[in-house]
Amino acid sequence: MGVALKVQNLRASVGSVEILRGVDLEIPFGQMHALMGPNGSGKSTLCHVLSGHPDFTAEGKAWVDGEEILDLGADQRARLGLVQAFQSPVAVPGVELEEIMQEAAEERGIDPDEADRRIAEASRRFDMGPFLGRSVNDDLSGGEKKRSEIFQISVLSPKAALLDETDSGLDIDMVRTVAAAVEEMRRPDMGVLMITHHSRILSYVIPDRVHVMMGGKIVTSGGPDLAQELEQSGYEGLRKRLGITSAGADTTPKPAFDFFTDHPFSS
Amino acid sequence: MLSLDNQTLERLNSGAPSALASRRRRALEEYRRLEMPTPKEENWKYVNLGFDLDEMGLPTAPGDRLPDDGFAASLSNRAGSAFMVDGRLLVVDNDSEARLGSADEAGGSGSGMDLLAADTDKFAAAALAFSVDDITLRIPRNRAVEAPFVIDVQSTCSNTVTFPSLTIRAEENSEATVVVLFRSPEGVPSVLVPNLQTTVGYGARLSVTTVGLMGSEGANVMHHRSKIGRDATLRIGEIGLGGRLSRMDLRTTLEGRGGSVEVVGLYYGEMQQVLDYRLVVNHVGPSTSSEVFLKGGVQDHAQSIFTGLLRIEEDAAGTSAFETNRNLVLSDGAKANSVPNLEILCNDVICGHGSSVGPLETEPLYYLMSRGISKARAERILVRGFFEEAIGRLPLDDLDEPARQAVNRRFALAQEGGRV
Repeated sequence: MGVALKVQNLRASVGSVEILRGVDLEIPFGQMHALMGPNGSGKSTLCHVLSGHPDFTAEGKAWVDGEEILDLGADQRARLGLVQAFQSPVAVPGVELEEIMQEAAEERGIDPDEADRRIAEASRRFDMGPFLGRSVNDDLSGGEKKRSEIFQISVLSPKAALLDETDSGLDIDMVRTVAAAVEEMRRPDMGVLMITHHSRILSYVIPDRVHVMMGGKIVTSGGPDLAQELEQSGYEGLRKRLGITSAGADTTPKPAFDFFTDHPFSS
Repeated sequence: MLSLDNQTLERLNSGAPSALASRRRRALEEYRRLEMPTPKEENWKYVNLGFDLDEMGLPTAPGDRLPDDGFAASLSNRAGSAFMVDGRLLVVDNDSEARLGSADEAGGSGSGMDLLAADTDKFAAAALAFSVDDITLRIPRNRAVEAPFVIDVQSTCSNTVTFPSLTIRAEENSEATVVVLFRSPEGVPSVLVPNLQTTVGYGARLSVTTVGLMGSEGANVMHHRSKIGRDATLRIGEIGLGGRLSRMDLRTTLEGRGGSVEVVGLYYGEMQQVLDYRLVVNHVGPSTSSEVFLKGGVQDHAQSIFTGLLRIEEDAAGTSAFETNRNLVLSDGAKANSVPNLEILCNDVICGHGSSVGPLETEPLYYLMSRGISKARAERILVRGFFEEAIGRLPLDDLDEPARQAVNRRFALAQEGGRV
């Protein structure tokens, strides 16, 4: 079985601040992995570095379905099959959600009728009908933005999906809907990395592997019981078990998160 | 070509009513007294005119009417049309209940309206002295005309200057939509100095959209003066695309209680264009409201200027006034200036202004690219999206599509040519 996403000794910094300090990860096709970790440990940065955010400089290697991606632009990576559901997607006023899905489909050479069919289907599923003709992420609640992101993943159907806290801020029904969608992504031509703070979604969709990130590294990986351990003893308990001193583990500054607010440079 | 001198003035005055003749003579005195404006004057900052009115003149006879362009063609359903070619009123076509024609024909006291002061600047003085024909549109009281009136103002003769006088009067409780096109052929250097005056009577609702479509060697130096009465509404739309210089000097006064004005639209400059907006909204009456919402773009070496003054006078209690001007600067050599201003002499007001100048934002660009959309296409989507809000607020839907296409085409061509 091939590997949807492979990451090897990935280091990344923004300015002079190093945030990722050597990440290794391998998600085979057909698997869903959960990535957990305290705030500021570098989870969102990992997603943005893999997606090709221009603010980061990265070293190391990463592959999507065997193709190296770190030298590619964000658009090329997405067309190759890596798509992220953003934690806090930026508003794009004046640009309709349906329009960017159609443009994205066109860039992939997807037939417009097939694109419309996928859009209609995903829209029904995530109840996005009222949002298709509205500006992307503009004037949306937190939960609506999450729905919009998972809707887009569903339309674009990537080889490797990065879900950055897609389950947070959702009501319980929508968590179930998202969980069902993630469960369906566990198919032979797809691999999923799901970042989550809550084990709630993990009671609906059981991950094949759970990774824990601290201080810009994956410090331990395990089966679904690792999530349960965290739920019971917290990151502090895990640190004790692994013999990690809390100082040094999560002192990473947080510039990366602050970039991904809705209006990052609005004046 | 007829020089802007006494001899030309007396020629225009022969057979003119004495009030008009003496107004022209007074304006000529101002014209002689005033110098050509320079960038040293605050109201002309950043503008290098590059021509002198004294070296120009009126055309001896009007040229041929220009064929319809995309904007004119999009206005197929009209209540009436008037064509002003090289300062001459050539054709009037009007089946509506409104009066459209020269001041005499349209009736009322339109010819006596003088909202523009001759000492405003040399262009205003020249406009009042050397205007040959005028167009007056009068909407009688209690009449509502749904389809737009189109006033097509053209300048077709090289090295000439013309001074179209345009007067729009919406009488008490009337309603109308007007589009004014300013056009000149590509490759013809000429100057248009329109004097647009609008009055909106008690409870009337008027929209006036100006569309700047001068060729790249044409210049348009417009004054627009408007007076808004009690409970009256004026919506001013602007689509600024044309001319090596396109200037809108707009001064609107909210006189009556409850009057409102909106100035909405867009401008987009390319090559060496200078697009110059000088707006003053004067709140005199109580409970008046205004909103200015203009979005602009510049590429290549184009330059835009926006200065907007919201002035709230002492008695204008309960007033609300808002002003937004956002600009995209798409090439390194392009420049946008944006200066919103408030002058508030009354306590009981709600005011706000916002202004921005900058390139396309990086986060939305990254977001679109992260969906697999190429950088060039993502940039086009963002430019389109940026102007969409302004286009959506234009007073007349018929102009949305040609405005959208004009802006998108300019940016796409610049992208292909590596100019942005």
